[in-house]
Amino acid sequence: MNTSIRCDGVTRRNFVRVGGLTALGLGMGNFLQLQRAAAANPISSLSKGGKAKACILIWLDGGASHLDTFDPKPGTPSEVRGPFDSIGTSLPGIRISEHLPQTAKLMDQLALIRSVTSPFGVHNFAAQYLMTGYKPTPALDYPAMASVVAHLRGQNGVLPANIAIPNLISRDTATLGNGFLPSSTKHFSLGSDPGKRSYKVRDLDFYQGLDLSRLDRRRKIVNAMNEYGNLKSHHESPSDPDLERAYNVIASEEAKAAFNLEEEPSKVREYYTIDPRANVHDSNNIGQQCLLARRLVERGVPFVTVNNTGWDNHLDLATYANRNPGDPRSASHALIPGLDKALAALIGDLTDRGMLDETLVLVMTDFGRTPKINSTGGRDHWPNCFSVAMIGAGVHGGQVIGASDALGEFVKDRPVTPGDLSSTIYTLLGIDPNQELRTPDGRPIRIAPQESKVIEELLG
Amino acid sequence: MDATAPVAEVKNEELDDTVDFKNDLIPMFTKLGCNAGKCHGSAIGRGDFKLSLYGGLPETDYDEIVRRLGGRRVNLTDPESSLIFMKPAEFVEHGGGEIIDDGENAQLLLTWIRQGAKYIEQRQLKHVQVTPNRFIANQIGELTPLKVLAHYQDGSTRDVTSLTQFDADDPSAVTVDSKSATAKVLRTGRHIVIARYSTEVIPIEMVVPISEKMIDHSTEPRNNFVDKEVLAAISELRIPVSPLVDDQAFMRRITLDLTGTLPEYRQEREMRELNREALVDDLLASQAFVDFYTLKFAKLFRIHSKIDKNRVNTTPQAARAFHDWLANQLRNEVGYDQVVREIITATGDSSVYGPATFFTTVEDARQQTEFATEVFMGSRMKCANCHNHPLDKWTQDDFHGLTAMFSKLTRSQVIRINPFGKNIHPNTGEAALMKIPGGDFLPKDMKDGRTVFSDWLTDRDNPYFAKATVNRLWRSLMGRGLVEPLDDFRSTNPATHPELLNQLANDFINHGYDIRHTLKVIALSSTYARSANPIEGNESDNRFYSHRVPSPVEPEVLADAISDVLGVAGNYGQETPGTRAIELKDGSIGSDALDILGRCNRTKSCEGTPSPIGPLAQKLHLFNGELLNSRIGADGGRLDQLIKSQKTPMEIVDEFYQTALYRRPNDQEVKFLSQLFSDKKTPVQQRAALEDFVWSIVTCKEFVTNH
Repeated sequence: MNTSIRCDGVTRRNFVRVGGLTALGLGMGNFLQLQRAAAANPISSLSKGGKAKACILIWLDGGASHLDTFDPKPGTPSEVRGPFDSIGTSLPGIRISEHLPQTAKLMDQLALIRSVTSPFGVHNFAAQYLMTGYKPTPALDYPAMASVVAHLRGQNGVLPANIAIPNLISRDTATLGNGFLPSSTKHFSLGSDPGKRSYKVRDLDFYQGLDLSRLDRRRKIVNAMNEYGNLKSHHESPSDPDLERAYNVIASEEAKAAFNLEEEPSKVREYYTIDPRANVHDSNNIGQQCLLARRLVERGVPFVTVNNTGWDNHLDLATYANRNPGDPRSASHALIPGLDKALAALIGDLTDRGMLDETLVLVMTDFGRTPKINSTGGRDHWPNCFSVAMIGAGVHGGQVIGASDALGEFVKDRPVTPGDLSSTIYTLLGIDPNQELRTPDGRPIRIAPQESKVIEELLG
Repeated sequence: MDATAPVAEVKNEELDDTVDFKNDLIPMFTKLGCNAGKCHGSAIGRGDFKLSLYGGLPETDYDEIVRRLGGRRVNLTDPESSLIFMKPAEFVEHGGGEIIDDGENAQLLLTWIRQGAKYIEQRQLKHVQVTPNRFIANQIGELTPLKVLAHYQDGSTRDVTSLTQFDADDPSAVTVDSKSATAKVLRTGRHIVIARYSTEVIPIEMVVPISEKMIDHSTEPRNNFVDKEVLAAISELRIPVSPLVDDQAFMRRITLDLTGTLPEYRQEREMRELNREALVDDLLASQAFVDFYTLKFAKLFRIHSKIDKNRVNTTPQAARAFHDWLANQLRNEVGYDQVVREIITATGDSSVYGPATFFTTVEDARQQTEFATEVFMGSRMKCANCHNHPLDKWTQDDFHGLTAMFSKLTRSQVIRINPFGKNIHPNTGEAALMKIPGGDFLPKDMKDGRTVFSDWLTDRDNPYFAKATVNRLWRSLMGRGLVEPLDDFRSTNPATHPELLNQLANDFINHGYDIRHTLKVIALSSTYARSANPIEGNESDNRFYSHRVPSPVEPEVLADAISDVLGVAGNYGQETPGTRAIELKDGSIGSDALDILGRCNRTKSCEGTPSPIGPLAQKLHLFNGELLNSRIGADGGRLDQLIKSQKTPMEIVDEFYQTALYRRPNDQEVKFLSQLFSDKKTPVQQRAALEDFVWSIVTCKEFVTNH
């Protein structure tokens, strides 16, 4: 690719011209136009923090109960306390769920925020707010943090800069994506689960009878047709950046190998295995997903999302810890123990490889769940107060920030908004949250919302 | 400034100094944010103090403030020690901080307590008027004072500007200073600010032309009312328009839009005689139109077979029956009002009588309410399940009243009336009464309220049904709804062209809810015929129709177009070979090709859901997947046949251009492609190069978009 042209196909000069038209207040909805612009100011200076080269987001999809994971309320009535006990951690005075024993040992490195609060109790808005840092509005589609990072960092080599394992299409999160940024910054979904025996990233290998020279010729012809054809656009380059990226991935053996977990020694694969009694492929997949995330980060991918689904538990909280209550074999497959082991393995591995200092690991979710258990033994959506965990990248660990009230209903101390979280995450990644991005019609948009504040206690 | 009708200044006086609980105090709480969802308006309140969201239930709020907590919130003998004052003034610790000071708000609250903290509603609010509710600023930064006038049932009016809260849809485009109620527009374009007083929400539209110089559009053709309205908006914003397309481009565009099929190429000689009106009539009368619009409605009604966890199943037979029934209605030109009446009142065996499938598509009666209002009214009533809708007029009674109607149905393969079915209203804990949205309760002993609902819905004065329908028809031809999202009609999300929407709806009603009629009106406007190529100054416009915004061809249509160009049919599940993707009757029929192209699986609304497949994954598949590679050079396919018929590569190129793009290759393309084939001497080399060309023509932008 021509390096004088941005990956979205826009030169700086073009951008100025787009800016000059400015602001029709018209918004852009079209996928062709979306490829068209959005240049950001160069990163001016690294703010403090700023050690992280990459971010692994473990997304607990559907809304994980804060009371049953990171913010237990021992001593409250059973309809609040829930079915699980709490245990002490390596941080004196701090207790978390009994099903997070390994995480408990890491508490002296981990930073826990127990006072996250959002107004959105439906999945799509809630997830958008957490993932973008901006309150959803019909006026503008904001990009997810992963896309912003991909946009500013660009691709390191040919691997996509924003990868979702195994995908990010579940439930109502389909709209999560690049927002007003070019479609090239949208997450690349593997579409295949690294925890499954059948795992294989689709369409990386040549179709029978084809080779690289044929694919190269095809992209050249299609580029020529886009250039000479009847559909003209003032700003688009004739070459399709997504097609170029696909070609580059296919052309690179190294890129293809990045996705191949078979290259990891079996010792390492086992280290990430949730249940050693089960076949490596049959256990909860989050372990192998985290291993792949580490592999990708190690190869320069700046943002990887591990999408762990199934947390929207309205029905029976016991299944959080045991998929088929009564059957001890299913305990290790369940969500909370799976998260515990995968998180511990990931942190341990990153530490051993000396990568933890430059890798930010986040555990986030849509919202918390109702402090009072409902009539079917589950909890419903509760955005007023919930927890988020962070570790690595110089995060000042071994502390709990903020607090919920006695029943976990509301923030008692130090409210933190998803905007504050995004500001902090960007800062930790060396991105100035005050910096501005541009929409295709030239509007300047701050990377994190105006009113958001960096959580200073987290910066080392 | 907009010439809003002058306000009749009747009795614009305060009645006396009595503080009116409902008209003064509650709006103050709203303005201060006390009853917002994140504070005491939350479903369980906050700090054991619960107000109704945005003051929707003032009587309940009165009880909460005056009677609960042993009356400690209000102290009549010493008003200033009332908790309701001490908390927000932060004389005692308040989670929300100090939100009232010694000013007007504090005085209002204290006066109310001094007067006995009574539930007084001196006047009944009729409506609220904002002046201006629409204005055109001459330049960025211009200040516009806003004034809000409440009109009461007794004919009196009152300035309630200071009790009104203003929120810009896009805070970076407009700011409103809450003290002076002055709006300042920061960017050009069209913006919306929402004014909220008491339970009323009113949109204010603000326009700043994008260019300083006027643009003369007087010579642009105005074929019908569509052009008149569209050009009026464009002129106001001073956006230049792209030229109109030639017959060739029109032919491809309209054929794809009305039939989901590529047009068969006509030689230029025949094109010279193209009568656009006759063409549109022919297309609307074709079987292909019926097939394609059946697909569109099948997606709207989310037709898919399923087995669900609550055992509300849709059998494959029921899915097909519904699809076939819709196709019949379209074929027989049944008015859409009639179609909808039959769907809403359907009973019987869904595997035989298609419309009954409407009641097994979602899981329960509440979801049925959300589904029905989305599809028939373009409204999102979901919020009103738990509280009155904060941005719309819908109340919990509306939501649960409609749900009560749907609760009286058995949700199984055979839809029957179940007289014992009920929906528990979350506020009363009792069975909700059936109710028409925004209208009357139905008699308690009525067995089935659906006929009343469907008659109300399809009445010519119904404000929702016709607009929601024509908005979808407009989107299917223009690529964007006049209201977006399509299912989010509310006063606070106004149409880009409100008058056009009205006229389209009235015209639709006056023509017997005839879908073909409305499509024809749109198709024959000059607005529809604008070029997709932007000109200097209108590149960023994607909602005022100064140029056509190319829209991605729908996945099913693209799949068929690819099959047609390659001359090899696709395979879909167990369907008969040769079945076209747009004819698939059931969204659950498996197809990797359609999934890769981004089809909607119909388990949720298909409107506005972007493709779950990211662009990179899609391109990888185009390069290495089956979709194209298994068919490009297949035996008996178009390329194979052309090669076998001894045509030269450039003759083959010409044919593919005609089929795929509805045109001949231009000089640059001929030059580029001749060069490509010039050094391919052996048949094997030539065939490979041709395959690569064919791959390119079905992946290029001109092919995968309608433009």
